[in-house]
Amino acid sequence: MEKYWNKEIECASRAKMKKLQDERLVAQVKHVYENVKYYRDLMDKKGVKPEDIKGTEDLHKLPFLSKADLREAYPYGLLAKPLSECVRIHSTSGTTGKRVVAFYTQNDVDMWDECCARAITAAGGTEDDVVQVAYGYGLFTGGMGLHGGSHKVGCLTLPMSSGNTERQIQFMQDLEATILCCTPSYAAYIGETIHDMGLSPDDLKLKAGIFGAEPWTEEMRRSIEKSLGIKAFDIYGLTESSGPGVAFECSEQSGMHINEDNFIPEIIDPDTGEVLPEGEVGELVFTSITKEAFPLLRYRTRDLCVLSRKKCSCGRTLIKMAKPMGRSDDMMIIRGVNVFPSQIETVLIEQGYSPNYLIEVDRVNNTDTLDISVEMNPDKFSDKVKDVQKEERALAGAMKDMLGINPKVHLVSPKSIARSEGKAVRVIDRRKLHD
Amino acid sequence: MSNVRQISVFVDNKPNQLAGVMKMIKECKINVRALSLADTSDFGIVRMIVNDTDKAVEKLKAASYAVTVTEVVAISIPDTPGQLSRVLDILGNRNVNLEYLYTFLGKSDRSVSFVIRVDDIENASVALNDGGIIQLTENDIAEM
Repeated sequence: MEKYWNKEIECASRAKMKKLQDERLVAQVKHVYENVKYYRDLMDKKGVKPEDIKGTEDLHKLPFLSKADLREAYPYGLLAKPLSECVRIHSTSGTTGKRVVAFYTQNDVDMWDECCARAITAAGGTEDDVVQVAYGYGLFTGGMGLHGGSHKVGCLTLPMSSGNTERQIQFMQDLEATILCCTPSYAAYIGETIHDMGLSPDDLKLKAGIFGAEPWTEEMRRSIEKSLGIKAFDIYGLTESSGPGVAFECSEQSGMHINEDNFIPEIIDPDTGEVLPEGEVGELVFTSITKEAFPLLRYRTRDLCVLSRKKCSCGRTLIKMAKPMGRSDDMMIIRGVNVFPSQIETVLIEQGYSPNYLIEVDRVNNTDTLDISVEMNPDKFSDKVKDVQKEERALAGAMKDMLGINPKVHLVSPKSIARSEGKAVRVIDRRKLHD
Repeated sequence: MSNVRQISVFVDNKPNQLAGVMKMIKECKINVRALSLADTSDFGIVRMIVNDTDKAVEKLKAASYAVTVTEVVAISIPDTPGQLSRVLDILGNRNVNLEYLYTFLGKSDRSVSFVIRVDDIENASVALNDGGIIQLTENDIAEM
């Protein structure tokens, strides 16, 4: 039996949802226009007035916001409420440039908790569950987001934060955690450590995991599900719109339901900005229609994905987004070809290697080089140099089939590539293309 | 037949890698009887014969090294001109392909010992036996 946290919303008819979205959008545009000078200027420049927005069908008239706008408006330029009404700040990891800070009123936090509560419920969580939150706590939204959702559902919450993996496993075992929330790369590491400690999934009570904050593949899902003996659910979100919980997976595990009563999604052509029809791949854009303090309208996520309104077996009517094919920030253009780390991960898992890898891109004599370090699988290790080299060539060949370009694969010692307790650093790009 | 087990360990071509392996061996008070290091620009393979193979493998695996155990032939031949050539002829005549070869850390004045890795160990062992070449057993090595 599928359980819902808020059935009325999650299973609402399309007409009812559209009406709700229309009302909220109209009010939100007015709120932003009146309180955020930065966006008002953008609207004025485009010649759009709040009265022009009568419903979701007018969404396309609004100007976009991008990460560059957020950096330009840092820190207070997009704030729509007085700081006295704000109760919290979170920030992006800042790996791709200057940090972005987001502000929350109490209502914003409550909405976010509700979104995460829906995700936890969809993963089978109830007040009888013990939720181990191993996302980082702090400025990063992962920890506090799932923490809030877990409280809301009434689960017993273990606010572990990330790190100290043996202690994580000890608590998981002693306090019988049933749901694990962390990044997929950390989940994989926990799984690996459990086996290294001589334990098996049978020694744990875990039944589900909610993993997000970085791209991961179906292959990685299956590998985590096996090593932890759980069902693994994807969760999506971004600090700019609140945090994890913007979209979440249900029992069908085929895409994530977007909490569209709070976030209206669009898919656009990343080059022209034109809205694309359902089913086409493009850049995901979100409009927050309930956020008070930091309400971003038409925010370009840089995530490439597809939306679908196909009927879901879980009974939810919320629109679904496919797992993003990669954030366009993660996409590398190497020798003119688009390469996503997730493609490399897929090949590694298919070939029986650990999904811990390091991609190094450089430019030598005006040609891009792509070097991928992969941890040796002890089961495939032979005493003969030529066998190891053959294995490297086989991996490079499989990568070439997937990527269209030839990488150089280097096998390195098992566990020699740094494990991540949060978002994994997979790519080092040494090309200096913009100086 | 008297095949001997060789331990191979995958190491990165970086400082301190062999030292790390040797530290493991030292910690379990194991003695290395023969050692060779094959190197490429990226990685190396440490190959060795020790006096307690099981214990060394267990220790290395627990420390997450990629380890493999291979059967090799160990021989002892007189330390006089032409002896190795004779061994190689014996193997060549039976069409045994040699993958690699290295010497024991020997201390005898009159003989020298080799580790020989071949593609067909059964055939090699019979050939060496027929040729009158002394093959060492793991017991011999443990007592060295």
